[in-house]
Amino acid sequence: MVEQVNSFAIKTKNVSVHYGNKMAIDDVTINFTKNDVTSLIGPSGCGKSTFLRCLNRMNDVIESCKVQGEFLLNGVTDIYGDSIQVETLREKIGMVFQKPNPFPKSIFENVAYGPKIHGLASTQSELNDIVMESLNRAGLYEEVKDRMDDIATGLSGGQQQRLCIARAIAIRPEIILMDEPCSALDPIATARIEELINELKEKYTIIIVTHSMSQASRISQRTAFFHLGKLIEHGDTSKIFTKPDKEQTNDYITGRFG
Amino acid sequence: MIYFALLILVIISYLFYFVGKKRALNLKFNGNIKLSSQPDYFGYYVVLMALIPALLMWFGLLLFKGNFQEMFVMSPILFPDISTWSDGKLGLILNKLNNLSVIVNLPLDDLTNGEKSILNMASENELTAAKKLANFDKIYGWSNLTLFIIFPIILGFLATRSISGKLNAQPIVEKIITYIIKGSSYIAILITIGIFLSLVFEAINFFRYVNPVDFFFSTGWNPNRAFVVDASEGFDKDDLENAFGFIPLLTGTLLIATVAMIVAIPLGLMSAIYLAEYASKRVRDIAKPIIEILAGIPTVVYGFFAALSLAPFIKDVGESVGLPVSAESALAAGLAMGVMIIPFVSSLSDDVIKAVPQSLRDGSYALGATRSETIKKVILPAALAGIMGSFLLAVSRAIGETMIVVMAASLRANLTFNPLEPATTITTQIVTSLIGDVEFDNPKTLVAFALGLTLFLMTLLLNILAITIVKKYREKYE
Amino acid sequence: MNSLNKRLSAEKRFQAYGLFAVALSMFFVLILMWKIFSTGSGAFVRTTIEANVFFNPDFIQVNQNSLEKELYRASYVALADEVVRQNHPKLNEEQFIKVREMYTRKFDYQLRDYLLDNPDKIGQSIIMKITASSDLDQIVKGNYPRDVPEAQRKINDYQLSVLDKLTSEGKVSSVFNFWFFTKGDSRDPESAGIWGAVMGSLYALIICFSFAFPIGLLASVYLEEFVKPGKVTDIIEVNINNLAAVPSIVFGLLGLGMLIGVIGLPYQVPLVGGLVLGFMTLPTIIIASRASLRSVPPSIREGALAVGATKMQTVFHHVIPLSLPGTLTGTIIGMAQALGETAPLLMIGMVAFVMEIPGGPLDPATGLPSQIYLWSESAERGFLEKTSAGIMLLLLFLIIMNTAAVVIRRRLEVKW
Ligand SMILES: Nc1ncnc2c1ncn2[C@@H]1O[C@H](COP(=O)(O)OP(=O)(O)O)[C@@H](O)[C@H]1O
Ligand SMILES: [Mg+2]
Repeated sequence: MVEQVNSFAIKTKNVSVHYGNKMAIDDVTINFTKNDVTSLIGPSGCGKSTFLRCLNRMNDVIESCKVQGEFLLNGVTDIYGDSIQVETLREKIGMVFQKPNPFPKSIFENVAYGPKIHGLASTQSELNDIVMESLNRAGLYEEVKDRMDDIATGLSGGQQQRLCIARAIAIRPEIILMDEPCSALDPIATARIEELINELKEKYTIIIVTHSMSQASRISQRTAFFHLGKLIEHGDTSKIFTKPDKEQTNDYITGRFG
Repeated sequence: MIYFALLILVIISYLFYFVGKKRALNLKFNGNIKLSSQPDYFGYYVVLMALIPALLMWFGLLLFKGNFQEMFVMSPILFPDISTWSDGKLGLILNKLNNLSVIVNLPLDDLTNGEKSILNMASENELTAAKKLANFDKIYGWSNLTLFIIFPIILGFLATRSISGKLNAQPIVEKIITYIIKGSSYIAILITIGIFLSLVFEAINFFRYVNPVDFFFSTGWNPNRAFVVDASEGFDKDDLENAFGFIPLLTGTLLIATVAMIVAIPLGLMSAIYLAEYASKRVRDIAKPIIEILAGIPTVVYGFFAALSLAPFIKDVGESVGLPVSAESALAAGLAMGVMIIPFVSSLSDDVIKAVPQSLRDGSYALGATRSETIKKVILPAALAGIMGSFLLAVSRAIGETMIVVMAASLRANLTFNPLEPATTITTQIVTSLIGDVEFDNPKTLVAFALGLTLFLMTLLLNILAITIVKKYREKYE
Repeated sequence: MNSLNKRLSAEKRFQAYGLFAVALSMFFVLILMWKIFSTGSGAFVRTTIEANVFFNPDFIQVNQNSLEKELYRASYVALADEVVRQNHPKLNEEQFIKVREMYTRKFDYQLRDYLLDNPDKIGQSIIMKITASSDLDQIVKGNYPRDVPEAQRKINDYQLSVLDKLTSEGKVSSVFNFWFFTKGDSRDPESAGIWGAVMGSLYALIICFSFAFPIGLLASVYLEEFVKPGKVTDIIEVNINNLAAVPSIVFGLLGLGMLIGVIGLPYQVPLVGGLVLGFMTLPTIIIASRASLRSVPPSIREGALAVGATKMQTVFHHVIPLSLPGTLTGTIIGMAQALGETAPLLMIGMVAFVMEIPGGPLDPATGLPSQIYLWSESAERGFLEKTSAGIMLLLLFLIIMNTAAVVIRRRLEVKW
């Protein structure tokens, strides 16, 4: 049993989220296993992003958003508790957004920013190493190595998104949250990102929101299906996509609604 | 001296940034202590700790320098009758001493003739006081400078010492910066309060001399009646009667503003309509910036133009048709002001007209209405509230405008509604009463603040009214 | 059918009114510019009279070895008179006074300045172009008519005859008027310059910027990034909007009543002028800066927060730098308005006769617009062209500042 606890990167229990009076997440309990890719699927507006953003407290900045429930990092640290600062938490749980959002600075600066503010490098050469390694892992290094000082917003959409992934992994997180990272990209760029996710899962726990069921089935080991703010079903991807327990899940994956 | 001190302060804080950061890095790598903030923040921490008290102190010393000077030199031994002096006289003497103190210790050879005669005219006691003042200034300057260097160095040193593994600098620094940011945003409110207080305070002083009822309702304006050699001797009540009557200023202001609006409203509104509804893009791109140049020209230029060209021109034209026109007619000032306000009216009206939804226009065109009919019958009525709001803003502009009327309108109060006659305005009289000797114990000076307060309240009222109307209008079409 | 024609001609008339309004407004711009340029261009040249100057060491009582201080104090007034006598021999006393009047009263300064630059010329004779008096200058420029009765002229018949003689000898010439750009104010139009006022305005603008830019920027950061919308922001917002519409003269009264009256800052100095202009500019900067901050997309803030930056770091590392071009544009436009503001300067005394070029924000000074006002109030014709030339310079500065604002907006502003 003890072993089981430690194998969860994040455990949540009875999570509810309101925007003002409007309920967005209704009593969700779900645990995310370490070094797995977990897909969150469901029709748009069902609360996937909302739930994802609770995990690294990105919802804190939204005035009207109220989060209730229990969130444990590595089974012990209360994510919303006093024992961890929100900045440190986000150092451990990185995030990649739906629309690529590189800073309008140089490619190098984009990746180096996180390590700089967290003091992860004490010399310039250490910083260079971190940037290089992160870009490498994000599969971008070869494409940009000659123009590290170019402004990042000049990159193509797919490159920008990989840069954002490099930026996220440069601070050595344990978990990476991705909110529909491919929805703004063309199929080729999407394929590259999916490849990348496959490689990254060796080192990181990845939780990804996607509206594409084929993508979920290609990249994830576990899948969670949300509907109208509720978690309908959660399990191994193969099981969810072949013989789901719930009728609603079945309807959704066979395209009867959503 | 001040610049030198500020420069040193900048250098000191720059150095302390590195000292703080260095110490943090030392602890981290040599002492193997885990820091709770990034080394940079320890640098910022030390700088803020050293700099803020020093700056506050400097500000305080600057504020109270006059008081210190007074304490140091204005002793009853040198000036036996000092206790009977008014504040104004004290200020004057102190000013004189300040001027003397600059030259009193210089060798006679280096002085110009003017400076020599100043020295010769000063009394023995004044010279002694001036020497004392020169001494004081020297000591004050040097002690200021030393304090400026030593005080922050000590504080910075203490702050550096306090850096340890336990000190979490980042939240402290961020807290201080939050306070600074918050303070900045309150300054706008402080300025408003400052305006209000300084106007009210001096206006009350004015109303000690002049009855408010007299001021607001009498029709005579002869501030020179308050001319006295020494204001501290007091004033004769009879002299001040009918000396400060607000009514002719108000009518003059309104007369000139009316002329201005008669020029600006049709021209501004029609320009806006033409450019928004008729003009091709090319015409618009050329005409709009040119009209906006009118808004960028400083008002002193309009004033010069009005006084130099417009007024004589109007006088000549008037006389050629047998009309007696004053050389300082309200018409000239009003016309110049109207031209100045055209772009103001046109750009505000433009915004308002653009806010009218296309669906309203389409509805009218669908009924077969021509463009001008659509504009007159549909767009203007729909935009009426917004346009009225922008007119009110323009009126408030006109009432508060100063330079044009100072240069082109008359100084003589004249209760008239004839634009060919001279008229004076509130702003003109504020300027006139403050040019020359400013004596805070003479109603001749103080009336400027009473007029200023009235003007402030008038424009405030107009602005609030206008902003409310425009806001309501905007909401209607959003 | 008839009614349709009527409607169509009404349409035409309406359109014509509009065109007329636009054309008239543009006409005003043209006539204003034309008037300024036609009266002001004369100020850039000044009339000079060639004269033979002998720096007689006995007369000015200095020699080649004299110290600079002694050179400075030598008796140039007497030398000036002597130069006039030598160049116009055989004058009786009455004629001498008239001829002396044809030269500038600052003759002695011109001699002094020359000698200070060229001390080796002591004991030598040189040809110098001596500045003519303003009245003569105006006659030569044709601004004063010659063909009116003598009583209506500032230059009398005798002086005219001397002028004509000098002209025929080729001694009268026009040179570029450097003095206008390098000197402070003067009672004599021919030696009055704008530089003191330019420096006064410059110091005032530096103070204005140092006050209004940081405070405006930080205030807008607080309002946009740190505080929840509510009562406090509402009050500040209403307050800023109203402040932006307060007449400038009222700000001047604030400067006089508060800064000078209560706090005790000196009268007549750019420090106070700059602070008052800063108070006026603050709302403009805050409004521009808030708009600029709002245009930075939230995704940038999320990106920074997601890598663990604090709110403060997010704002200072990312949001402010990205909003800066917009804020700067607003600041420059605000400062351009401040540069043209005259009324507040009048209130705080920056409208006096100041000959010296101010050396800092605590020296007595005038500002560019208040200098223009001062000159415009002078009766002498010579100051008329100075006024217009001052206006031309002011407009030039305004054009430069507004162009800079446009360039910053085009070049630096990040498009999203
Ligand atoms: N900032 C917000 N304020 C108010 N309601 C929001 C906000 N963000 C999301 N919502 C609402 O919460 C619900 C869930 O949204 P979201 O989590 O974005 O859904 P998904 O990502 O699954 O499409 C939706 O109904 C949405 O309208
Ligand atoms: Mg979503």
